[in-house]
Amino acid sequence: MSSVPNSLSAGAQSKRRPPQRPVGGGVRRRFWRGVWVALKRRPSRIAGLVIVTLFVFMAVAGPWLYPDRLPYDVDNVYAPISWQHPLSTDFEGVDVLALVVTGTRGVLLVAAAAGVVTMFVGTAAGLYAGYRRGAADSVLMRIADFVLTVPGFPLLIVLTTAINVGTWWKMALVLGLIGWGGLARAVRSQTLSLRERGFIEAARGLGLPTRHIVVKELLPNIAPYIATNLLLAVTAYIYAQVGLYFLGVLPLDTSNWGVMLNAAVFQSGALISPDALPYLLAPLGAILLLTLGVVLIVDALEEIFNPRLREA
Amino acid sequence: MKSFLWRLAGHLTRGLAMIWAVTTFTFFLIRLMPGDPVQVQFEKLIAQGMSPDQAEAATAITYGFVPHGPVWRQYLDYVTGLAQLDLGVSVESQGIPVADRVFGAMPWTVLLVLSGILVSFLIGVGLGVVAALRRGSLTGHSLSIAGSLLHGVPPFVIGIVLAALFTRRWRWFPSGGQYNGDKVAPGFYADFMLDVAYHMVLPAAAFALASYGGWLLAMRSSVASVLGDDFLLAAELRGLTRWMRFRYLARNAILPLFTVLAISFGLVFGGAIFIERIFNYPGLGMMLYASIGARDFSMMSGSFLIITAAVIVANILADLLYTVIDPRVRRQT
Repeated sequence: MSSVPNSLSAGAQSKRRPPQRPVGGGVRRRFWRGVWVALKRRPSRIAGLVIVTLFVFMAVAGPWLYPDRLPYDVDNVYAPISWQHPLSTDFEGVDVLALVVTGTRGVLLVAAAAGVVTMFVGTAAGLYAGYRRGAADSVLMRIADFVLTVPGFPLLIVLTTAINVGTWWKMALVLGLIGWGGLARAVRSQTLSLRERGFIEAARGLGLPTRHIVVKELLPNIAPYIATNLLLAVTAYIYAQVGLYFLGVLPLDTSNWGVMLNAAVFQSGALISPDALPYLLAPLGAILLLTLGVVLIVDALEEIFNPRLREA
Repeated sequence: MKSFLWRLAGHLTRGLAMIWAVTTFTFFLIRLMPGDPVQVQFEKLIAQGMSPDQAEAATAITYGFVPHGPVWRQYLDYVTGLAQLDLGVSVESQGIPVADRVFGAMPWTVLLVLSGILVSFLIGVGLGVVAALRRGSLTGHSLSIAGSLLHGVPPFVIGIVLAALFTRRWRWFPSGGQYNGDKVAPGFYADFMLDVAYHMVLPAAAFALASYGGWLLAMRSSVASVLGDDFLLAAELRGLTRWMRFRYLARNAILPLFTVLAISFGLVFGGAIFIERIFNYPGLGMMLYASIGARDFSMMSGSFLIITAAVIVANILADLLYTVIDPRVRRQT
């Protein structure tokens, strides 16, 4: 209860004030209470949490709700909106809602796995570079700059054409290895500023092993940046995949929002015929809704971790 | 001035090193590709009755390196060719050098991207200041949410929506091309430029909408952090007008945005593929897309290389601009 008003007033006065808490069970409990308080301050944030949970639920349970091959009905193409087809049907008479729901899993699975890759590579590189400094730092940051500079999506297109990314983990690996640069940079700059702080110096003075300092002292303080960056990276991976399918670079034989968009925009002329509009709008709506959910959660995360943005 | 030149030299070296790294990467990527396209073409030509020498020469023209001999030899041929801006010959449209087509497409993409970035930068920075100054109120909050939402939405979504609304639903804008070839011929006169601008409005608007949110957010947090600085308090105590104080604030807050500008080029050029595809705008992105559909690998690596080079050059320019604007950076080096 006490930590939150304290940090509020401190945030309004002092300029540079990243959280510097001792590590322990009590802190963890206080952290969760802070999360709850931040969520409660604006109901929109709870809505964000609900939206993202909904998508995760769709990814986990979606394919179990529908048969493996979705039923199609050629006589019922672009059906009017009804209880049976709440989002109309596509050019083969397949229920659009079913397509959206079943399309979630593949995309989210790959994006989450790619996020894990990014998290490990980015955090490790950033921590090592920032804590060790010296030659390793320059080399790692040159590589990170390289990864950041080379335009990601063109690279992704070239890579997916060159390498066969048929299986989900290959796709995840490619995505994760393209996207770790930003996280590494963020982690490094945090590590650089933290390693000069008193509590790290104290830990070094106590002769604690480096592993302890990095894992128990540094990492908990950097975790917020990792969390925020990761959430944004996972969203970017979702869109990158949808984009690849939308352009038709990857084979269009799976169920995916991008495949729907590709068919709607380039093949079935949903841009012109108003009957087909729901088929176009459904995947767009799914993307918008997911973005909204992520944005609202990031908004909450930012307030939890960066009190300076909190309104006075 | 001297330090400026040193900085420029450093940037150029780093940029060249990066381009070299990308070149090497694409070279080996094409070699490693399943069913090595170079080897495939070589064998196809032999099967068509060419002598090995002829086939080798023909393949070398297409890809910029010879399919036989040790890898380092091929690599050397490829790199020396590149140094002379020889990107090979398009596989699909036989006989046309890749360099010609790529450099022909590049101005259109650069025009599009730059105008998109300029518009979004101006709008985003302006709204970002408003969002920071009013961050307690409903205006500030809704501005930030709208900004983050548009920033988060992938560019192709915005492109599709704009295309659906303004080229199909209401046919206010053309659905493709850089200019209407039936009506105007390229040249420096008003009608042509108006037609180019007319064709560019929607794709540029898509770029701007997709990226202004980023500027808004960056400017908002930058202004929020500068607001607490002492020099603003001092200015207020000295009795400076609101307008003067605002100028102080804006000049200091806008600086960090130029580093963001450097990063955003990569994203924007990446988004160009979607935007150009959706609006049928024949630029670099469209070329990369088309070459992938046609499995035209020399074209693919050529346009990828040029896109990367464009991003690197844009980065260098953004950084130099930063040195010009912020005197502190100049003194450090």
